[in-house]
Amino acid sequence: MNLPQIRLENVTVTVENRDVLKNVSLTLDERRIGIIGANGAGKSTLSRLINGLVLPTQGAVYVDGLNTAKHAKKIRRDVGFVFQNPANQIIMPLVADDIAFGLKNMGLGAKERDARVQQTLAQLNIAHLADRESHTLSGGEQQMVALAAVIAMQPRTIVFDEPTTMLDLRNRLGFQREVARLPQRAIVVTHDLEILEDFDRVLVVTDGQVAFDGPADPAIAHYTQWSRA
Amino acid sequence: MIAAKNTSWLSRVPASWKFGSLLVISIALYLISSWPVLLVLLAASIAILATARVRLSQLRGPLTALSIILAIVFIALGLQTSWLNAAVSVTRLFTLCLLAYSVSLTTSFNAMLDLFQRVASPLRHLGANPAQIALALSMAIRFIPELRRVYSEVREAQHARGLGNNPLAVSVPLVIRALRIADETAEALDARGYDSSSVHGK
Repeated sequence: MNLPQIRLENVTVTVENRDVLKNVSLTLDERRIGIIGANGAGKSTLSRLINGLVLPTQGAVYVDGLNTAKHAKKIRRDVGFVFQNPANQIIMPLVADDIAFGLKNMGLGAKERDARVQQTLAQLNIAHLADRESHTLSGGEQQMVALAAVIAMQPRTIVFDEPTTMLDLRNRLGFQREVARLPQRAIVVTHDLEILEDFDRVLVVTDGQVAFDGPADPAIAHYTQWSRA
Repeated sequence: MIAAKNTSWLSRVPASWKFGSLLVISIALYLISSWPVLLVLLAASIAILATARVRLSQLRGPLTALSIILAIVFIALGLQTSWLNAAVSVTRLFTLCLLAYSVSLTTSFNAMLDLFQRVASPLRHLGANPAQIALALSMAIRFIPELRRVYSEVREAQHARGLGNNPLAVSVPLVIRALRIADETAEALDARGYDSSSVHGK
């Protein structure tokens, strides 16, 4: 899979007179990228910049050369987003209809939608959930359905915002396994450092800036040391 | 009632035909007072439901509730008018409900929403957006159980603090959490490519 380049150029995000991110410049090319940092450090804001859910106050974000401020709709087709709480991400009352929702927004016809829904459910081994009512799903099942809804849209990048926070160990390991198998680029914001073991690159965000940027092991060591200080 | 996946002959009939027929039959039923005709229609509605491949577990609850309601209606009408009149009314109501179950349990939620959008399309001339109304409708159905869960959690937490019966102590956190859900869901709609300006839906 040809992965799009993501580029942040001197990005500052200001919310209520506070700089949540300060003059961040990055180029993201790797397949597995982690973002770690303390609560309120700016991790979620950084991740939301990538598909235009948050726009920079200063600077610009480019996905495959497209500016998120001008091409958010197009970019969102290519950059999926899995939120921390899957319950609030599932829009439709039935699982299969929910997975089809994004495809409908893309303008796909009913036959193609059905085929993609079935294919995605099978890919994630959750075909048995197709006809379930969304509110009857367990936390782990909800997270898999939220992931399926994003994968069905076939984005080349998927951003995960603390995807395992609400999962027990079994579901967390299952989710981690599925993410590892994805051909897409995965950008994972997390407090769960074990997830990052095999990642190509990890960013440590502190006080709105990228304090460390490098391979997983030294990044985790840096963050652990910073947390203890 | 939300339809689970159904593969019966009735699921292959377009939603507009099913709901259109239901509308016509529901009006016709109240114009018929002949016992034999009503009994034939009742038998037909039972046959339709029986061949609709609906799981018994899906029907048990609604049929139990319907039986109780029909019994109350029968007694009330029987005491007020005549027992024959009550029997006719209950037969009509029962037939109608069986047909309505057959239609709703063999029509996917998406097909119902599409039909709703088509039926509501004249509202566009009044400035309303049928696609948005349909989405709001489906989200209401989706999030009612979610809000019920949040309510239970808040009530439990306030009970633990000895404030379980204080309406303010329950309603304020409930509203705040509902607003947070609304915020996150709006963000998810954006992330999943929903275009609120679309007039026709997609």
